[in-house]
Amino acid sequence: MSNKKFFEERYAKLGWKFKYVKPKQAIRINTMNIAEEKVVNRLEALKIKLEKVPFLEHGYWVHHSEFSLGATSEYLLGLYSIQEAAAQIPATLFTELKNKVVLDACAAPGGKTVQLADLMQNTGVIIALDVKKERLTAMANHLERCHVKNTIIYNLDARHASKLKLKFDCILLDVPCSGNFSTDKQWFRKRTIKDIERNAKLQREIMTEAAKILKDDGEMIYSTCSLEPEENELNINWAIENLNLKVAKIDCYGENTSTKIFGKQLDNQIENCRRIWPGKTQGFFVCKLKKVA
Amino acid sequence: MMKPLEDFLSHFNAKIFLDETFLVKKRNRYFLWNEALKNVIARNFFYAGLYLGKMRKGRFFPSFNLLKMIGKTKANKVVVDKKTEWLFICGRDIFKRGIKKVKGSREKGSYVLILNMKDECLGYGKILHNLNKTSERVVIKNILDIGDFLRRESK
Ligand SMILES: C[S@@+](CC[C@H](N)C(=O)[O-])C[C@H]1O[C@@H](n2cnc3c(N)ncnc32)[C@H](O)[C@@H]1O
Repeated sequence: MSNKKFFEERYAKLGWKFKYVKPKQAIRINTMNIAEEKVVNRLEALKIKLEKVPFLEHGYWVHHSEFSLGATSEYLLGLYSIQEAAAQIPATLFTELKNKVVLDACAAPGGKTVQLADLMQNTGVIIALDVKKERLTAMANHLERCHVKNTIIYNLDARHASKLKLKFDCILLDVPCSGNFSTDKQWFRKRTIKDIERNAKLQREIMTEAAKILKDDGEMIYSTCSLEPEENELNINWAIENLNLKVAKIDCYGENTSTKIFGKQLDNQIENCRRIWPGKTQGFFVCKLKKVA
Repeated sequence: MMKPLEDFLSHFNAKIFLDETFLVKKRNRYFLWNEALKNVIARNFFYAGLYLGKMRKGRFFPSFNLLKMIGKTKANKVVVDKKTEWLFICGRDIFKRGIKKVKGSREKGSYVLILNMKDECLGYGKILHNLNKTSERVVIKNILDIGDFLRRESK
């Protein structure tokens, strides 16, 4: 069986019929730097056709632009960021961010870090980690371009985050994952179930460390752009069983997840997670975790 | 520690109050913190708070954060038209005809911030020919513009 067929069959078992999709380009307005309607008017004056993403507060799909969206004055001035629509969801799921101490555990190149700073209106503190040193410069440039003031970057493995000796109100775990075919043409050619299991293990290790440094009343958002249950529902089920965490309800774009995966019955809380199949957006998975009191 | 920053500001006839208790130098880079950051930071950070600029080979290279701060104060500035804005962020110098407004020094040798018609800071340059004189020539040399973010990426 071809690799593609193998994965297609898995998706079918999860209730999704495979189809090729190309996610639309999207932007997010940095409201810490400018009023939203001002940027939208300016971009429209440049003949950029925008459509408000119905499920995002500050997100727009870009239907037509005569030039690169990454080269306008407005972009270079940090008035907006280029960020795919589904990727804009996780940061918006925290109940309250302003003045909080926030951990962005796998942060480079900083798309969600800047979004968090924007939601916080540059208040509080964000600690942004990434294990790959070579990705930190891009993140630093991103923060400078968007005039972020509240972020500290460390070159640190998220599995050692307790070395920081801090407890966090909010933790974003946008964990390294196997990705999905909608953003990577070579995906079916290069991915194997072994990769997926290796990533799933790393994700569990990162979650384990994060659970130790989450405040008792804190919130943790876990997200991946993987479609594979090992990195999503099955990992969250493992966290419920092993890390004293529960899955809180969230209200966002996407489908409630199934509690039965490949014949295995999972904890009922798993239905509070959201799975986004590629379509209007790329593929995504997201959920909110809290400590069991 | 403030000296390179103060010297740089003086080129624009600008004064900014930077609280020294929150000013930090990490290797050759300068950052501005606040109370919240100071309470949680550890020594081995890579980047922290508001990045102000860096020293390299005895010269100060400002960040766009610092230029934006200068732009909000009384300082040497010129406002340029839309076409000149576009050319400037592509790295080009400024012709006299592209200048809409001048605030502060018009003298040869002065540093000036370059603003677009919305008063947003696009970078800075150095005056090559007194801005009072009529000229068909390049009058401000581009030293740094926001297109630098794109050039950094392609490095
Ligand atoms: C999905 S990407 C993050 C994207 C980022 N959140 C954004 O929105 O721009 C995952 C990141 O995790 C980093 N990473 C991988 N293993 C890590 C670890 N053990 N600790 C911290 N970061 C890690 C990768 O270098 C990569 O930059």
